[in-house]
Amino acid sequence: MRRFWVILKKELKEMLTWVTLIPIILITVVYGLLGRVINSEQKKQSAPQPVAVVDYDKTATSKALTGILSGVNLKVTTYTDGEVDEIVRKVVAEKGSAVLVIPQGFEAGIGAQKPQKVQTYTIMRSFSLLGMTSSIKLDAALNAMNQYVGDQYIKAGAPGLDPAIVRNAITAQSFVTVGGRSAEGNPQEIVGVVMQQTMIIPIVLTLVIIMAAQMIAASIAGEKENKTLETLLSTPVGRGSLVTAKMMASGIVALISAAAYMVGMKSYMGSLLGGSGGTSSASGQAIQQLGLVLDLRGYLLLGLSVFAGIMVALAIAVILGAFAENLSSVQVLITPLMMMVLLPYLITMFVDLNSTSPILKWFIYAIPFAHPFLAAQYIFARNFTAVIGGIVYQGALFFVFATIAARIFSTDRILTMKLNTARVGSSPGNWPILRLIGSLFKRHK
Amino acid sequence: MEQALVVENLKKSYGKFEALHGVSFEVASGEIFALIGPNGAGKTTILRIVSTILQPTSGNVVVYGMDVQKEAPRVREIISYLPEEAGAYKHLTGLGYLRFMAELFAADTATQQEYVRRASDITGLGDRLRDKIGTYSKGMTRKLLLSRAVMTHPKLAVIDEPTSGLDVVAAIDIRQSIRRTTSEGMAVLLSSHNMLEIEYLSDRVAIIDNGTIHDVGTPQGLKAKYGKANLEEVFVEVVRQ
Repeated sequence: MRRFWVILKKELKEMLTWVTLIPIILITVVYGLLGRVINSEQKKQSAPQPVAVVDYDKTATSKALTGILSGVNLKVTTYTDGEVDEIVRKVVAEKGSAVLVIPQGFEAGIGAQKPQKVQTYTIMRSFSLLGMTSSIKLDAALNAMNQYVGDQYIKAGAPGLDPAIVRNAITAQSFVTVGGRSAEGNPQEIVGVVMQQTMIIPIVLTLVIIMAAQMIAASIAGEKENKTLETLLSTPVGRGSLVTAKMMASGIVALISAAAYMVGMKSYMGSLLGGSGGTSSASGQAIQQLGLVLDLRGYLLLGLSVFAGIMVALAIAVILGAFAENLSSVQVLITPLMMMVLLPYLITMFVDLNSTSPILKWFIYAIPFAHPFLAAQYIFARNFTAVIGGIVYQGALFFVFATIAARIFSTDRILTMKLNTARVGSSPGNWPILRLIGSLFKRHK
Repeated sequence: MEQALVVENLKKSYGKFEALHGVSFEVASGEIFALIGPNGAGKTTILRIVSTILQPTSGNVVVYGMDVQKEAPRVREIISYLPEEAGAYKHLTGLGYLRFMAELFAADTATQQEYVRRASDITGLGDRLRDKIGTYSKGMTRKLLLSRAVMTHPKLAVIDEPTSGLDVVAAIDIRQSIRRTTSEGMAVLLSSHNMLEIEYLSDRVAIIDNGTIHDVGTPQGLKAKYGKANLEEVFVEVVRQ
């Protein structure tokens, strides 16, 4: 055990250098800053936007519509004469965001029940998502204007009838049901909040798994390349201790990075998702009632699933690292593992496994890294059997890969094996991976 | 005299290629035994098997009565292996590296400190031991590694090409260090294709080529037996026969 700690200390010293730490710090700081910048931009955008109304009609209706604009969080300046181009240039110079032109004869046209046109000029200063806010607000203003005019028609056509009833004769009282529990709330809002809670997990998990795998594979390849492995293997350190210490060091460094990334990512993602509208208190209550908040059991299961995923990745990475002859070959060898991590992440983002074809579903289930991604969803859906089943499956795979890794380190394969890129026959007996597994478990004479 | 190492009918194959065809020799305690032969003769394979990092296909290798396959962890406690062109962790200082290796071999701090002190004396690197290994020359690194190999008072030191790639001055330093440390009773198994070095260092020599040992004897005995002036000529003669 003492030698395990000596190796672990050495591995941590080797991995936690400024070369490793600077990118982690930079990413955390950059994402953190990005989150703050987006937040402050959102605040700016949520302040009343300056718009100009050119009212050539100068009637009671046009004035009423101008008043409506002030009600939808727009700071309105009204012009009643002058050239439109001239006014637009002036508004641009004064950093306004839009110009709305109400033509002469507007009220008369409305009165004659003829469709009327207004002109809108959206002033684009950037082509970012946030830059579109003024145009979205202008659309909301036009909707409010249409509603006002529509209400006037209803009042004139059917005195005594409430226009609100005509517009919304049917309203829904929405309930959401999760795992047998029902609560009143808006389904879209609830999905949004759950996504906010769980979206960071796969992103960070992907980063952690890829980082940890790269670190351990690079650590083994580095020992080979720098010719330190042979010396280490001839010392009294147990091969199991050597592999475990390397795995643990990679895991610790990966978790430190994950924590740092989470801080940065939380600020970034929070600013992105927070911009799409807050959660109503009704939805907040519904989320509580539906149990869509991770409790201690939920966190425990999720943590176990994530931990098992990392351990499987590390065991596979040890095997891949043993194939590497030098550091430059690590990236190539680790690519299949990265694909295995990214594939379930990308697929589960767009595909509902409950309704997809059984082949795709079981293909995803076969990938051990799919289970941590799915765990949070299953915990929320009270499908604990699926979560525990996933953890057991990951545990079994870890056992298999860790046994292979330990066998590689305890035989001379660690020094002699490398990726055979030479042409081999098509019979399975000629496949390098099968030959490797066969030879690992062959009894030495 | 107690046998430090007994190798009997050792065979090793890499796939279909047989690197060793039944090698046998013995090394006595306190003896410097050298394997000489060209590149690819099988010297490194033998050293790696003795050092427990390769497994033989067949045959027996026994270090101080312990089988290298069945009792590998115990063998590792009493041997030390210095591979050819071995490296050290470049981010560590010379002292840091020695401390790390000392911690792997000894449990108590006093013994660890004694190992580090001994290695520091043997290296002759002085204050440079406080510098990162990444800044060392090849000769300095080799001295550091050799001192690491002998600091734990191993009963058997296995050294592959002790002076490979070193300049004359560094090579002489290394040879003198090996000679000094064996005076304390440590057995040495070394390999080299530098016959002059072997003649200077070894008590006995085995001539190996193509995975077969062709003859074993003292440098003087072999020269007398084949009527040659130096080991180089003996080697050519033996291989030709």
